[in-house]
Amino acid sequence: MAMTLNQLVLRSMRKNIKNYYLYVFALVFSVTLYYSFVTLQYNPAIVKEIGSGMSSAALKAGSYLLLFIVIFFVLYANKLFMNRRSKEIGLYQLVGMSKGLVTRLIAIENIILWLGSIILGVLMGFVTSRVFAMILLKILEKDAFVELTFSLEALLMTVIVFLLLLIVVILQTAIRIRRVSLLTLITTTGVADEKVKKFNAFHMFLGFIGLAFIGYGYYLSTSLLDLSNPDLTPNMLLFKMVSILILTVGGTYFVFRFSVAFILNLVRKSKKGLMSVQDVLSLSTIMHRMKSSAMSLTTITILSATTLGILTLSYISYYSVDTVAEEAIPYDYVMYEDTGFDLIEEFDKEEIQYTRDDIDLLAVEADVRSLLVKDAALNNDISTRLTIQVVSQKDIQSKLPNLQLKEGQGYIVGYDSLRAENIRIEAQKPIQFITSTGTEEVFITEVSEEYMVPNYHSYGFFTVVLEDSYFQKLLNDPLNENQMVVGMELQEVSQLKKAEKIFEANKVSVEIPYPSGIATKTVSVESQESYRLDLLNELGLTIFITGFLGLAFLITTGSILYFKQMSEADEEKATYTILRKIGFTTNEIMKGIHRKQLFNFGFPLAIGLAHSYFAVKSGWVFFGTELVAPLLITMGVYIILYSIFAILSAGYYRKVVEDAL
Amino acid sequence: MVILRGRKIKKVFGKKTNTQEVLKDIDLEVREGEFVGIMGPSGSGKTTLLNVLASIDKVTSGTIEINNFNLQKMKEQRLSQFRREQLGFIFQDYNLLDTLTVKENIYLPLSVGKTPKTVSEKKIKEITDLLGINDILNKYPNEISGGQKQRTSAARALVGSPSIVFADEPTGALDSKSATALLSNLEKINKEKKVTIMMVTHDSVAASFCSRVLFLKDGQIYSELYKGEKDRKQFYHEIMNTQSVLSGDGYDA
Ligand SMILES: Nc1ncnc2c1ncn2[C@@H]1O[C@H](COP(=O)(O)OP(=O)(O)OP(=O)(O)O)[C@@H](O)[C@H]1O
Ligand SMILES: [Mg+2]
Repeated sequence: MAMTLNQLVLRSMRKNIKNYYLYVFALVFSVTLYYSFVTLQYNPAIVKEIGSGMSSAALKAGSYLLLFIVIFFVLYANKLFMNRRSKEIGLYQLVGMSKGLVTRLIAIENIILWLGSIILGVLMGFVTSRVFAMILLKILEKDAFVELTFSLEALLMTVIVFLLLLIVVILQTAIRIRRVSLLTLITTTGVADEKVKKFNAFHMFLGFIGLAFIGYGYYLSTSLLDLSNPDLTPNMLLFKMVSILILTVGGTYFVFRFSVAFILNLVRKSKKGLMSVQDVLSLSTIMHRMKSSAMSLTTITILSATTLGILTLSYISYYSVDTVAEEAIPYDYVMYEDTGFDLIEEFDKEEIQYTRDDIDLLAVEADVRSLLVKDAALNNDISTRLTIQVVSQKDIQSKLPNLQLKEGQGYIVGYDSLRAENIRIEAQKPIQFITSTGTEEVFITEVSEEYMVPNYHSYGFFTVVLEDSYFQKLLNDPLNENQMVVGMELQEVSQLKKAEKIFEANKVSVEIPYPSGIATKTVSVESQESYRLDLLNELGLTIFITGFLGLAFLITTGSILYFKQMSEADEEKATYTILRKIGFTTNEIMKGIHRKQLFNFGFPLAIGLAHSYFAVKSGWVFFGTELVAPLLITMGVYIILYSIFAILSAGYYRKVVEDAL
Repeated sequence: MVILRGRKIKKVFGKKTNTQEVLKDIDLEVREGEFVGIMGPSGSGKTTLLNVLASIDKVTSGTIEINNFNLQKMKEQRLSQFRREQLGFIFQDYNLLDTLTVKENIYLPLSVGKTPKTVSEKKIKEITDLLGINDILNKYPNEISGGQKQRTSAARALVGSPSIVFADEPTGALDSKSATALLSNLEKINKEKKVTIMMVTHDSVAASFCSRVLFLKDGQIYSELYKGEKDRKQFYHEIMNTQSVLSGDGYDA
């Protein structure tokens, strides 16, 4: 018996090679991805560069998320694989094999496939892991050499995970074979979809609700972080976020389940029975499949939206690193009082070219009530007496060459509207300075969110740039505290590396008392470049992990769509045969199929893009300083990669149509 | 006028080591307006012959001309167009699209050409009236009977006014009453509209509606019968006799 069983397995494997190659692809891909990602944690070059602790914890967390993706993908692929083979399994039973025997057959087959895939996947992961390690170090801007690493721990992890998954899959198959009756097994691939005929008012209503849900969700998201709303408590925020999630996810399902079929039905009705082949192949097939594919299209849409959202946000933070560093340290080098003179000497000695701004930073008591936006000004509970940092226009001439201030005027820079919370201000209003001779008003011409002055006294609020003579008056006022700051800009970018070396060797820090005199603050010479690299170090890993997972998600969802389209193509082969017999050419049929593909791929993509756009838009400010470019780049790359799957599936359709006659 | 002419039609299935010659140098001619029946035991090559005549399948060697067009010389693109414009098909298993209504199915062949919508409507009405299916136009194939499906299939074959209609066992799945109704319709269309029909059948009653019957055996035309002035009953008996000679021991299974 064993002998014949083996023979049967081998023979059926050979016959179903096409079904297998999809399944095997999914398995090998999953193993490769998982193994190479886990290996990263044990790559000596990575360990050396990023250290252990937080960073390796992040990698570990990433591997769990990846595991989730992998499980989802493998189980889905298995489900699809079993669906396509239900006829074959039914046939085995029809010719008298017991359910136990069939289960054993499938189990043996799975074991062979999985072992093969694990071996292949590990081999590929061994190679790709090096590539990923190099990418990670590239993001961190570290040029270390990465060798091929083999990690026994990673191998063990991978083998354990996939063997467990294999057991789950076999159990699932066994349960499926046990439960399902012969008849349903044989007919699963037949036309199981309902015929959309009469649309009742209720469906119409649900179709409308779907669109309304999404619209309202989007509307809510645009006002999610509306800071002018005084009721915006954390609880409220959470409630709003959950509502948006439910509205958009639910709305998406409703759109796929009801709205689409409803609209297509209207279009179809309007043709009065005279549909072109293109309509036949797009309109009517989509309509008839909507019930069964609504769930998976919704899943794919939501996954795409999530992936895109996360990718965009992490790319925004990566993209913004430069600006964030520039904001935190507005000059290439900044030094306070007498901290950095060794550095300047060294720079001179090494012939580093630079320009230098000597800036007096003044801490002045002020009342900003008159500056507040209207409704905030009415709130008397807010304390509006603050210490404000003030600079003279001439000291930062190099940063604001076009600024023209008249007497009694000021210009605000570095205003952080997000962090200002309830002290929100606007321009064209006066600010009151409290001096030893009384309260004096300065009219603010403009409020800019750009940082261009080193931040010493301003505590994250803002800096007022003043016209020179008035600044001189404040400087002489004994009430105010002055701090000398030097900002240096390198003239030659090529000298940055050298300058950094000198900076590293001359790091000094001193304790300086705060204006209040109670506490002291440690300040040191600051370098924009090292700040930027520190940021990169902090963010790079997150960006890498999200990018990796995003790609995994993209390939997974793309493959699933592709697999689905393949089975759809196979199921519709009979239709193509009929059409070809009647006399339609492959190209005419393909035209209709392209339309259908445009829907199947384009619709989830479009909705996913819209979802992620609104999601990103509502919260991107927490992640960085630039929205448009990272958003467009991420979406563009996503669309291109995603289209590959659409093109692949169109190719498959063409083959099926050509073979149909 | 000869509308279809086949010369030395040969069809071989399979690859080098394992080949099977299904059609062996068949010569045949069909005149315009004929109603030709093709009979023969199972596996004798009837469907294969019909398929190659209808350009759905390719011959291994030999030539087929329809309306003076040489099928072997036409490219796939032209061939498809030719099929759509000149030929009609009725298949044994209906070959209707499940996702389309009866009317949408019938409209298919007209959908690519430049037929104006109003003309299409008129043609559909005419043919469905003739076949008696105008009250089920908005139903889906799974909601109608086998006979209705077969008539839908016939309507789709005829709606484009083809010069030849090929039918492969169109009555195979029908009870004798529906079969007779469909055959009478085909006979009527053949007579009134001068549409040439070629029909494969196992059923001697069905064959007796034809004006000529070819008998196929082992890939060759074994014999042929003309109806001439005979009535259907006489012709039926003649067919039965030929068949029993053909299969040696009476009726083929
Ligand atoms: N695509 C194919 N590949 C290989 N052999 C084929 C193919 N199609 C038909 N045959 C073989 O050609 C022979 C004739 O088949 P065909 O379908 O023409 O018979 P038929 O006369 O229509 O039979 P029936 O009355 O059962 O429909 C059969 O032996 C069949 O096995
Ligand atoms: Mg046949």
